[in-house]
Amino acid sequence: MTQMNPAVATFVEEARELIEGLEAQLLDLERDANADAVDSVFRVLHTIKGSGAMFGFTELSRFTHHLEEAFDRVREGRARIDQRLIDLALDARDHMKALLDIGEDGDGAASLATGPQGSGLIARLAALVGSSDTPTIAPDAGQGGTTAASAPERLWQITFRPARNALRNGMRPDLLISELRDLGQLLSCRADVRDVPDLDDLDPLASYLGWTVRLVTAEPRATIEAVFIFADDAELAITEVGVEASRVPADITDPAPPAERLTRQADSVGETIRVPASRLDEIVDQLGELVICHARLEGLADRLGNPDLEALSEEMGRLVGSLREATLAIRMLPIETVFGKFRRVVRDLSAELGKEVTLLTQGGETEIDKNVIDRLTEPLVHMIRNAVDHGIEDGDLRRQRGKPVRGTVQLSASQEGGEVLITISDDGGGLDAAAIRAKAIARGLIGEEATPTDHDLYQLIFAPGFSTAANVTKVSGRGVGMDAVKTAIEALRGTVDLSSQPGKGARFTLRLPVSLAIIDGLLVRLGADTFVIPLAAVEECVELDDVERHRASGRTMMQIRETLVPWLDLDQVFARAPSGMARRRLVVVRCDGLQIGLIVDDIVGQHQTVIKTFSAYHRGVEGLSGATILGDGTVALIIDVASLARRAVAEARIIIEAA
Amino acid sequence: MPRTAPKDAIAETQALTLLVFGLAGETFALPVTTIHEVIDPLPVTPVPNAAPHAPGLINVRGIVTPMLDVRLRLRMPPAATAEATRFIVLELLVSGIRSRIAIEADAVREVVEVDPTRLEPVPELGARWPAAFVRGVARHDDMLVVLLDPDTLFAPDADRPAPNA
Amino acid sequence: MTKTVLSVDDSKSIRDMIEFTLQPHGYRVIGACDGAEGLARFQSERVNLVITDLNMPRMNGIEFITALRRSPLGAGVPIIMLTTETKPELKDAGRAAGATGWINKPFDGPMLVAVARKLAG
Repeated sequence: MTQMNPAVATFVEEARELIEGLEAQLLDLERDANADAVDSVFRVLHTIKGSGAMFGFTELSRFTHHLEEAFDRVREGRARIDQRLIDLALDARDHMKALLDIGEDGDGAASLATGPQGSGLIARLAALVGSSDTPTIAPDAGQGGTTAASAPERLWQITFRPARNALRNGMRPDLLISELRDLGQLLSCRADVRDVPDLDDLDPLASYLGWTVRLVTAEPRATIEAVFIFADDAELAITEVGVEASRVPADITDPAPPAERLTRQADSVGETIRVPASRLDEIVDQLGELVICHARLEGLADRLGNPDLEALSEEMGRLVGSLREATLAIRMLPIETVFGKFRRVVRDLSAELGKEVTLLTQGGETEIDKNVIDRLTEPLVHMIRNAVDHGIEDGDLRRQRGKPVRGTVQLSASQEGGEVLITISDDGGGLDAAAIRAKAIARGLIGEEATPTDHDLYQLIFAPGFSTAANVTKVSGRGVGMDAVKTAIEALRGTVDLSSQPGKGARFTLRLPVSLAIIDGLLVRLGADTFVIPLAAVEECVELDDVERHRASGRTMMQIRETLVPWLDLDQVFARAPSGMARRRLVVVRCDGLQIGLIVDDIVGQHQTVIKTFSAYHRGVEGLSGATILGDGTVALIIDVASLARRAVAEARIIIEAA
Repeated sequence: MPRTAPKDAIAETQALTLLVFGLAGETFALPVTTIHEVIDPLPVTPVPNAAPHAPGLINVRGIVTPMLDVRLRLRMPPAATAEATRFIVLELLVSGIRSRIAIEADAVREVVEVDPTRLEPVPELGARWPAAFVRGVARHDDMLVVLLDPDTLFAPDADRPAPNA
Repeated sequence: MTKTVLSVDDSKSIRDMIEFTLQPHGYRVIGACDGAEGLARFQSERVNLVITDLNMPRMNGIEFITALRRSPLGAGVPIIMLTTETKPELKDAGRAAGATGWINKPFDGPMLVAVARKLAG
């Protein structure tokens, strides 16, 4: 029945998740081998072994058994967690993954299982913890011997007295007797009531009766014994009285009631449903259409001025808004799901390079859209590899510098408004500004006379084709440079910033939108055109008259209350003819921890914005990150606050330096 | 250098079905296989700082569609929208991704079938359009129809100015 | 009358397997991921048979059986331990806690159906 069973797919997915998670669990164990952690590893192995055998992954089950046994020994204190066991367990875990990937039992699984990899691992496990024997998967309980059709019918006498607590513990003697009846012909069934006490002393849940049954059946003794598999603490005697001479017609009707298909009960408590991610994407797409459709309705209601329609549109807006929240929440995953992968990267890499490095993670519970996570993994791996390879110095140098020999790479995540902040920092040597400068000149990225600040120099490592390692090691020199990282982050509408302190370490800061699909936007007007500013970035909107522009001390700063804020006139940024409007507005946005002001003609309102990413024709246009469709059907452009912030800061600095 | 032979892709025996349209007094054509629909002009949202040949975006039934300036690529002067102006929406692979784009035509004339073997190279003297954008010239009803090459004509960065590094 | 089977296992594939196996034979299968949830479900439904794993997070199988037996409706309900564990002492612990019987994984469909019939009718 296994091959047709839809549960197999569930098993494969489940096993895949367990095996993925096992990696992180083993790494946890390496750091802190407490009993709970050992138990949870054991439990995972146990589940995979048990389910694997049931769903046709016998080789996986068999192999897992060995690892399970090793951890069982650890659990019982007969073996210890050490570096070698973790190394081996990680290798074994990889092998389990391969066995799962190769699919159900067949030639592939068999040859992988019997191959040198598998047997080598088993041998190493045995050598390490002393486990050796083959799986002891118990023979099926209750599996009666099959009936030989021609077997003669025999007469049996069965005496049966359940234990006193059997009824309380769920035994049903009546069902056992009817089961016996199904085996052949029940000649007699007598109850023995000798032990039944007086009513006053009777415990209604206790079992006082015994039975003597005479049964004619062709079934072997094992089948009769199997009826009582769960009654092994009962008094039981099965004796063959003799071969029945006259053939007694046996009851051969199928004891099973007609198979009826029940509708599946939807379990509400703690159940999860697995759906392909693509189906969620479809829902989000449709939701996007719904948001746009509602915006049209809103526009129509505004134009017609019908209060009923306006009320309806408002209500629909609220509903669409909460549907949006709920839908986007479905795709949110804790970023922890990828952190485990990084720990393996650090572990393997530090071994390869002969460096001692610890990866600390923080904020793993921070949730981020699955699509973002998927596209973020690769760049993060790259940055972490860089930190270990180029950032952390080797032991001798660290000792000379008075640092602990063991280096630390820290990965942390947190949510800030509509953005997720991820930092990767290391306590290594920091970036070598002089080396970067030399290389940048050699590559023609800057002129020989240029004197950029150290911070600006550091950013050059994001330039295409730049590599900081003096000699490209086999670890990081894989053709993916930091420029690819930056491109990937920017494709997610995120930003990456780098700071470094010589001798102390470097820190990459990534800011990413929580969701890729729909954002809350602030609609602003420039002349006749409408633009959208992501609301998450907006701090406040002020009348331009209320702020003082400091033209003298750097033309592009203005004072808002106590703060000096660099500003940009969007008319200039977008090379538009000024509208000449007298009273304009200033939208204060925050990005990379900096405030900047954006001057617009007017604020129109808020808008649920379905982000349509730019095509190849417009990707990378400065100051814009995408487009959306407004209620009246026109296309509005979404302002890329991050790139404007960079520009504002650069302009302010240039002017200050020039002044 | 003049083209001596039409592109390989055209050296097929089946008839080539073309949408014929007018632009700046000339007659051009594109393979109908690339055409999604022909629509009345829509409001164009200009994209500031964009490459000149991709100046704006339009909303074609909920799909944000880049509007490309073919005149610019073919080195023709800009023109104002007129009564007969139509937008041609194309669907084709852009950098490997199936995408919709739109172009403006002064008028959309007809759909014709031509024999690909009778496609001629662009006459040397007539080659005022960049040769890379033209597949060949076909004669139809005494008319000279210039068959454009959608692959090169609509390439996103064919004449994009190099980023100022 | 439809019998209700409560399947307590932290592995969804096992719960599914039990459901797919028993449902065609007229059983209604409800699930719980661990002992704590199992107890909650048991108390809110009329359950005819409990099939439980032993190794589970949040209240393991033995604790679950003990607690279930002590609960108001917990006496007399058949409880089957379903596990890959084969250690006799665990089996005894299960028995002492009040389990009715024991099935080892892997199990096959007909056997599970036979067990359900034996214990739940």
